[in-house]
Amino acid sequence: MAKEAVFESLKSAIIDGERDKTLAAVDAALKQGIAPADIIEKGMSPGMKEVGEKFARYEIYLPEMMMAAEAWEGAMKVLEPKIMAAGGERKKTGKVVLGTVAGDIHSIGKNIVGAMLKMSGFEVYDLGIDVPASHFVTKAEEVGADVIAASALMSTTMTQQKNIIEHLNARGVRAKYAVLVGGGSTTQDWADQIGADGYGRTAGDAATLAIKAVAKKGGKK
Amino acid sequence: MLSFSEVVYRALNGPICTERDFDLAIFVPNLRKVLQKYDIKYDPQNPIPADDDFADRIWEAAMEFLVATGMFCLDTERRILFTREEIEGALQTGPSGSVYGDGKDARIMPRRYPEDKTPPWCSGCGAGPVSKEEYVINIVKTYAEDALSDGITAPCITNVDGLPVQAGSPTAIEGAIRTIILTREGLRRAGRPGLAVVNEVASAIKAAEHIAGHRFGDPKVDHLEIGLIHELKIDLDALNKIMYTQSLNNLTFAENGVIIGGYAGGPAGVAVVTAAYNPVDMLVVRGAAQHPFIVPIEKGTTSRRDCIWARAAGLQALSRHSPLPAVGSGYSSAGPMTKMSYYEFAAWVIANVVSGGSCEMGVPYRGVLIDHCGPMEDIFANGIAHAVAGMSRKEANKIVLALLAKYEDKIPDPPTGKPYPEYYDTTARPNKECIALYREMRKEMSDEFGLKFRKTSPYG
Amino acid sequence: MLSFLEVVDRALNGPICTEKDFDLRIFVPNLRKVLQKYNIKYDPQNPVPSDDDLADRVWEAGIEFLIETGLFCLDTERRIIFTREEIESAIDSGPHGCVFGEGKDARVMPRRSPEDKTPPFCSVGPTSAPVSSDWIYLQAVKGHVMNPLSDALTMPCLTVVDGRQIVANSPLGIEGSIRAILLVREAMRRAGRPGMAVVNGVTTASRSQEHIAAHHFGMRKSDAFEIGTTHEMKIDFDSLNKITYALASGTLIFGENGLIIGGLAGGPAGVAVVQAAYNPVDLLVLRAAVQHPFPTHFDLVTSSIRESIWARSLGNQAATRNSTLPVVNIGYSAGGPMTKMLFYEHAAWCIASVASGGSIEVGGAGRGVTLDFTSPIEPIFASEMAHAVAGMTRKEVNKIVQSLLAKYEDKIRTPPPGKKYQECFDATAGMPIKEYNKMDLEVRKEMADEFGIQLKNTSPFL
Repeated sequence: MAKEAVFESLKSAIIDGERDKTLAAVDAALKQGIAPADIIEKGMSPGMKEVGEKFARYEIYLPEMMMAAEAWEGAMKVLEPKIMAAGGERKKTGKVVLGTVAGDIHSIGKNIVGAMLKMSGFEVYDLGIDVPASHFVTKAEEVGADVIAASALMSTTMTQQKNIIEHLNARGVRAKYAVLVGGGSTTQDWADQIGADGYGRTAGDAATLAIKAVAKKGGKK
Repeated sequence: MLSFSEVVYRALNGPICTERDFDLAIFVPNLRKVLQKYDIKYDPQNPIPADDDFADRIWEAAMEFLVATGMFCLDTERRILFTREEIEGALQTGPSGSVYGDGKDARIMPRRYPEDKTPPWCSGCGAGPVSKEEYVINIVKTYAEDALSDGITAPCITNVDGLPVQAGSPTAIEGAIRTIILTREGLRRAGRPGLAVVNEVASAIKAAEHIAGHRFGDPKVDHLEIGLIHELKIDLDALNKIMYTQSLNNLTFAENGVIIGGYAGGPAGVAVVTAAYNPVDMLVVRGAAQHPFIVPIEKGTTSRRDCIWARAAGLQALSRHSPLPAVGSGYSSAGPMTKMSYYEFAAWVIANVVSGGSCEMGVPYRGVLIDHCGPMEDIFANGIAHAVAGMSRKEANKIVLALLAKYEDKIPDPPTGKPYPEYYDTTARPNKECIALYREMRKEMSDEFGLKFRKTSPYG
Repeated sequence: MLSFLEVVDRALNGPICTEKDFDLRIFVPNLRKVLQKYNIKYDPQNPVPSDDDLADRVWEAGIEFLIETGLFCLDTERRIIFTREEIESAIDSGPHGCVFGEGKDARVMPRRSPEDKTPPFCSVGPTSAPVSSDWIYLQAVKGHVMNPLSDALTMPCLTVVDGRQIVANSPLGIEGSIRAILLVREAMRRAGRPGMAVVNGVTTASRSQEHIAAHHFGMRKSDAFEIGTTHEMKIDFDSLNKITYALASGTLIFGENGLIIGGLAGGPAGVAVVQAAYNPVDLLVLRAAVQHPFPTHFDLVTSSIRESIWARSLGNQAATRNSTLPVVNIGYSAGGPMTKMLFYEHAAWCIASVASGGSIEVGGAGRGVTLDFTSPIEPIFASEMAHAVAGMTRKEVNKIVQSLLAKYEDKIRTPPPGKKYQECFDATAGMPIKEYNKMDLEVRKEMADEFGIQLKNTSPFL
C-alpha cells in the first residue's frame, strides 16, 4: 500500500474511534517500515485534529471523542516503546492531573476535558470523581505534572478548588503547577479570587489554557 | 464554650498536615513527652490504682498533651487545635444532670467520683450482631425488664430479608430504620416505652444511615452515639452527625475506643489519651457523656489486666476534674452462657464504678459472633455495679485480682458459649439453664466477695 | 412492579462491568443500533415535532435500548438489568393522580398527553439557583410562591451559613440544608401558601445525609425529594440510599434525569431516545411519582436551544403517549433576570413541553449558575404561557417556538447577564422595580400582538 493510503487509513480509524482498526493500521504501517514518529505525526495526529474540529462544530460528541482517545492511547502503547528503544523521545505537550473535586460526582465535563487534552498531546492522569484536594497534589508530585485541572459543578463543591491551592501552598509546591478550574458554578471572578491560573468556561477552553500554561512554564515535554 | 461552628471552621481551615505526620511526628512524641514528664507508669500488680495524686498527674498530662496535639480531620487533612483557655471553658460549661428517657422511665445521668456511693448509670442489653429481627425485640425486652436498666444499647441486625447489610448501601439505611423500630417495640413490650436508647443507630455506620434511622424512633429519647477515630481523629461524616444533633435535643454518648498497642502505646499512654478525650467529647462531639472503652489491638476484649488498669486510671483522672460523666463500656472475651464471661463482666464493671464511672454493659465474645449475646450477663452486671457503689478502690482491687485469677489465662482462647436459640425458649424468654447460671453467678459473687445484690429483675 | 429490594439486590449482585465498558461497549453501541433501526433523526427545522409515529418509534427504541443496556451502579460496578415484562409491569403500576402539597394548596399531578387541554402542573422557583444570603433566599422564594399559578416550589440553593461558604458533605452542608428548608417553610407562610409542596427537596444538600437531615426539619409526605440518575443510565449508593429513605418515610420523589446533549447519548436523537428510556427507569429504580427530564447542552449549558427543545419535546411525546408516569420538564435559560431574552427562552421551552404532553418546572436564569440571579417575574409569565397553550396543536406551538428562537438563538453564547434579585427588586419590600414591570408588560403585549396569546395576568406584581 502506498504511504499516503496508510496514513489515510490511520486517520480514518482514529476519526471513527475504532481501536482495533487503528492497531491493525499501526501494525501494517510498521511492517511497511514506516517510522513510528511518522505514523503518529502524519497518520494519527491529523485524525485527532479532525475529531477536535468536528467536536467544536458539534458534529460529534463525547462518545466519539472518548473512542478516538481510546484508539489513540492503544496505538501509543505500541509506538512509544519503539520510539524510546530507538533512542528517541515522544514529544508531549505536557502532563495534566485531572479530576472532579471532593464531594462532587459529575464527570461528563471532566471527561470531555480529558479527551481534548489527550488530543492536544497531553499525558492525562484522570483521578476520577470525588477526589480529595491533597490527592491532586500527591499525584502531581508523583508524575511531575505541569498542570492540575479541577472540575466542580456545584456551588457547594467549588470551594474544594481553593482547597487544592491551599494544599499546594502548604507543601511549598504552588509554583510548580498551573491550576486550572472549571465547571458549572465556577466563574473567572472565582478563579481570580482563589488565585487559580486559568478558568475554562467550556471544556474546549481547557486545552488552550493548558497549552498556554505549559508554554509559560517554558517547557514542552 | 466554643461554638460548634467554630470547631467546624477549624476542621475546614486549620493547619494542613498529613495523617502520617500527625501520627508519628506530633501525636506519639507529644504523648511520650508527657508520660515522662508526669511519670505515668503502668502497675500490673494493681489493676485498680488508688492514688489520687497519680490520677491528677494523668489529668495534667492529658491536658498538656491535648493542647500540644489537637485533633486531626481525615477528610480535610487539617488539625483542630484548642487552647488551654478553651478547654477550661468547656470544662466549666459541662453538662449537669442530663435527663435521659421520658415519663416514668426518665433517668438522670449522675456525675460520679472515685469511691462514690452514688448509684451508677447502667445501660446495655448485651446484644451485638443478630441474625433475626425477633431476637432484637426479645433481648431488648428482657434487659429493659430489669429496674436497674437506665437505658438501652440496641443490638445490630445483620441482614434485611436475607440480604446482608452493607455499610453505605441502601440495605444499611433500611437496616438502621428497622433496628430502631424493633428496639422501640422491645421496649414497649417490656412496659418501658420511655426508656432512652443511647447508641442510635445500631446497624448504622454513616451519617445518612444514622439520620435516616433516627426519624423512625422517638427523637426525644433516642440519642445518637457518635465516635471518634483512633486516635484523636475525626472525619466529616462524624462532624455531619454532630451538626445534625445540634438541631435536636440529642444527649450524645461520645464514644472513644482507645487501643492498647495502637498509637497511644501501652496502658500508661492509653490512660492519658482517655483522659484527653474528655474535653474533646465536649468541645467537638458536644457529648452529654464520655463513652470510653479500652481494647487491646489483637482482640477486642476489655477485661485484660492492662485494659482494666488503663480504664481505672483514666476514669479516676477525668472524674476528679471534669463535669462530663463517663459511661465506660466493656466486652467479655468469653461467649454467653459461660462462667468466664460473668467473671469478666464483673471485673471491668467493678473497676469502672469504683473509679468514678458509670457503665454500659457490653456484649459477650467481644460482640463479634452473630447471635452470641446477652442479656443475662448485662443484668448480672447491673447488679454488680450497684453492689460496689461506695466501695473503696483498695477493696475493689482485691476482688478484681481474684476475678482475674479465674479467667486471665483463658483470654487467648476463650469458650464461645452458646447462641441465642440455645438459651432462649419459645416464650421469648431466657430458658431455665440460662436463668440457673445467672443465679449461680450472683450467689458466687455474694458468697466469695460479700456483694449484696438487689432483686430487680424478673429473674431474681 | 418489581420490589425496590430486588432492585437493590441487582445493584449489589448484578453482572460485573467496568464503567468504561458500560459507556463505550454497551451504552453507545446499543444506542446507535436502535437509532438506526428505528430511523430516529434530528430535525432542526421543527423543534416541536408532530409525528405520532416518530414519537412511538422513539418509545420503542427507548425500551429496546433499556432492555439491552440496563443501568450501571457506580459503587458496585455492576449492571442492573430489567426484562421487558418487568418494564411493562412497572408502567402498568405507575402512579395515578399524586397529590402534592396539603390543605388549600394541595395540587394533583395530572397525567397529560400531547396537545392535551388539561392545564399543566407548574412548579415554579429558582430551580436550584445559588443564593448568597438567608434574606435573599427568603424573599426570592416568597416572590415565586406568590405566583397564583404556582402548584409547587422548586427551591434555590443556599451557599453560605453565617458568612461561611457551604462545603458539600461537611457539617455546613447539613446545617445549610436544614436552614434552607426552614427558610422555605417560612417564606411560604409569609406568602399565604403554607401548604405548598416543595418538589426538589432538598436543594443545598448534595449527599444523602444532608437530604435526610433536612427532611426532619420541614419536609412532609406531600413534598418530593428530587433524586436523580447520573449521566447516563448510572446510579450510585447515595441515590439508592435516598430512595430507601424516601420510601420508608412516604415522601414523593421527582425522578430527575439530567441528560446531556453532547454527552454519552450524543446528539438530540440519542438524547430523545434515552429520555424515553429513563421513564420506566424512574418507575423501577427511582420509584418516582414524576419523570423530571432536562436535556442540557454540555457546552452551552441551557435547555432553551433548538436541539434541547426538540429532544425534550420528542422524549415527552414518546413517554406521555405510552407510559403512566407523568413528565415535568425543568429548564435552564441563558438570559439573566430582567432581560427580554429570558422571557422568550422560558416561553419557548415551556410551551414546547406543554404541547408535547409535559408539565413544567420553571426556571433557571443565567444557566442557573450565577449567584442571586433569580426572579419570579419570568416564571410567572412562563406559567401563564404554559396555561395558555394547553390544548394547542404541536404544529401551532412549533411556529411560535420558531419565532421565539429567532429572537434569542443567536445570543445563546453570550447572553445578556441581566440583574441580580436585589438589583431588579426592592429586596426589603419584595417588589420589582418599575422598569421590570414595564418590560413584563411589553413582552405580554408582544405575545398578544404576535401570537394572539392573551395572557391571564395573574401576577401579583403587576
